[in-house]
Parts: sequence; structure tokens; C-alpha cells
Amino acid sequence: MLGRINKHKKFFAILALFALLFWLLTIQVKNGRFSIIEKPVLAVSGFFERIITGVYDGAWSVWSGYVYLVGTRKENLQLQEEIERLRIENQLTNELLDENDRLREALNFKKQYRPAGIMVQVIGKEVSPSSSTVTINKGSNDGIEKDLAVITADGVVGRVQTVLPRTSKVILLTDPESTLAVRVQRNREEGLLEGKISLCALKYVSYYTDIQEGDLLVTSGLDDIYPKGIPVATVVKVTKNEASAFQNVVAKPAVTLSRLEEALVLKK
Amino acid sequence: MKPRFYLLILLLIVPVQASLFNPLSLAGVKPDLGLIAVYIIGLLTGPGEATLIGMALGVIQDIGSSGLLGLTGFTQGVVGLLAGMLGRRVLDIASPSNIIFLAVFSFIESVLIALFMQVHYGDVPFFSMVLTRMLPGALYTGMLGTLLLRIINNRSVLTALMRRGIQKEL
Repeated sequence: MLGRINKHKKFFAILALFALLFWLLTIQVKNGRFSIIEKPVLAVSGFFERIITGVYDGAWSVWSGYVYLVGTRKENLQLQEEIERLRIENQLTNELLDENDRLREALNFKKQYRPAGIMVQVIGKEVSPSSSTVTINKGSNDGIEKDLAVITADGVVGRVQTVLPRTSKVILLTDPESTLAVRVQRNREEGLLEGKISLCALKYVSYYTDIQEGDLLVTSGLDDIYPKGIPVATVVKVTKNEASAFQNVVAKPAVTLSRLEEALVLKK
Repeated sequence: MKPRFYLLILLLIVPVQASLFNPLSLAGVKPDLGLIAVYIIGLLTGPGEATLIGMALGVIQDIGSSGLLGLTGFTQGVVGLLAGMLGRRVLDIASPSNIIFLAVFSFIESVLIALFMQVHYGDVPFFSMVLTRMLPGALYTGMLGTLLLRIINNRSVLTALMRRGIQKEL
């Protein structure tokens, strides 16, 4: 017996490793995900991602900044016009916010804070059938903390999961580990949005709740991570099953996560 | 030289896949560089080394992601084992069938991961994932992998790899 084991030592070692990995998986299915040596691995991969992105961006900026200048003047004029328009819109919005603050104060309502943000660049994307995360180029040295909300002008991107001094990992709202409290904008019905790889699922929506395809889901602010009222996803499919107390609601993220390049991390 | 070569692969595959491969992404689908590397190592060395490298690379990917620890390690290990066995008995790096085998391995890996996800999280949209992610990803991986194999099959690259000890274990 021992002779046979010695003869096939390599085979048994590999079999043992497969068994070990399978055992690790079954434990996690029961008890939730383990996270070991996450920070050292992220530090090493983040370091290389910064270098690779830096070289790539440098080469691209040489091409786009010096070589590929066709139409730049026209684009410049269009952008200047847009900046002017946005400046005016910003002034009007600030006026409305001030007025809103004054009215809330007059009505004795709790004062809403205006979130400050840190602009970040996506330097790495990890999208596999089991997870959806991105690496951003800022970390604790820049004021990033765990569980801060990450958004773009279109809506919610996700939240900061792991923070290192110079990089951080953001878990996208389509990741299966992601959940966020949302509200249907049209009728203020609440639900919990869970990531389902490329789409999201709105959980615990009662069979009798009025929810339709095309409804916009916005953050409810109940999870203490995302400020209230930010667009999250649009309902794309609603199915009812009489055997279940809840409806199956599928929603598509408001942000095109596959094309994410920059985002804003909201400070608390 | 061989351990250094493998260390370099383990260090660089994840950041290269995460950053340099972003511009190659088509509608959110990217080729799986880790799987391609494990497949090539399997064809060039044999099942033993390819399985170990596949497991190590997969575990590193798992640690860096938010998925279950060991899931990609397990599936990449299976890919390494199968590719090594194929390389020993059926295929070589010049074979045009590599595109099919790579695509099939990539698809099987995604299906295995999706099945584990179904057990862990429940109601994973399996068929939508097959159509929008797994099949296009498998085809993309197959095509890029075959292109890389063509480059490796170039005599000078192959000689350089052999000089570093990356050859079949017999």
C-alpha cells in the first residue's frame, strides 16, 4: 500500500490539494467568505496596476495630446460652451439648495448634508462570474475609508471594500456580495437590491406591491452608506409567482459599469 | 530559471488582466489571461506543474476578488490538469484545435463557478450569464489564446522558453 502511495506521490498530493480547496469552499458556503492576506495581495497587484495604467495612460496621452489632434479646436469650443452652461446650472442648483436648507430649517426638519467627494480613477477591473470589483488609484493617504459610497453622474457604482495607503478595492453593485437599501422613485416603495453579476435583483418586494418595468430605483439612505436619492438601477423585468409571497424583480444598473473610468468617492 | 518564470507569472497575471486588458474589453467581456497562461503551461510542461500553477494563480485571483476563496483555484487547477493531460497525449501548441479546447475549458470553468455561486447565493441568472458572459468570454479567450500560442510557436520564443526549462516533464 505504502509502496503504491510512494509511486503515485505526485498524484495523491494533487488530489489532496483539490480536496483541500473543495473543503475550503464548502466551509465558506456555510459560514461566509474568508478573507486572508487580502491586503498584501492587493498591495502587490495594486502596485503593478498603477505602473501598467501609468505607462498605458502616458502612451495614450502622447497619442491623443500631440499626434491625434484632429477636431480638437471644435471639441474645445463645444466643451467651453458646456462648461458655461453647467456653471449657470450649478449656480441655480446652489440657489435651490440654499432655499431648501432655509425651508427645512423653518419647518424644523433635519438638515441634509451636502456630501464632499474625492475624484478617483479606475486602474483595474476584476469581473468574473463570481465577483465584480474595481481597483481605484486612491487610498487611506487620500482620505478614503472602508464603506464609503462610490458614484458617478449617472448613479451608484458601489462601495469601498478594502483600503490600502495608495489604492482601494471597490465592490460594484452587481457583485453578489453587494446589497443596498433602495426605494422605487415613483411610489417610494422600499426594497433591498442585491448584485447578480451583470444585473441586480430587488428582494423582498411583496406580491401586492405596485412595481413596473421602467421604474427607477434610488438609494433610500437607510443603510448609512449611500446618501438618499441617488439613482441606482432601472427595473427591467417583473415576474409574479402565486406560490411565492414576493415578486421577482430584475434591475439594470444606472451606471454602465463595464465602461467605468472615473468615479467620485463620497466622504461621510 | 523556472521558479522565477512562474513567480513572474503569479505576480503579473492578475494586474495585467485587471488593467492592461481593460481596453480589450468588448461589452464588458474580457479574455481570461490566467486561464490562457495555465493552458499554455499545461501544454508545455504537463499536468503536475500546470495543476499547481493553476491552483496558485486561481487562489491569488480569489484573494484579490470578492468571490469565494479557492473557487478559481479549484477551477484553474482542473484546467491545468486537463490541459497537461491533453498536451501529453493529444495536442501540441501548434494544433489549430487549441482554439476549441481553450474555449471549451473557459466555458467549463465559468459553468463550474456559476454552479458554486448558485449553491452559495441562490437564484443566479444562469442562462442570461451563459449568453451574455460565458459564451462570448469563452470564444474571446479561445481566440486570444490561439494567437498567443502562434506567437509562442515561433521558433525563437520556443527556444527561449526551453532554455529556461519550460518544457515537457517526462
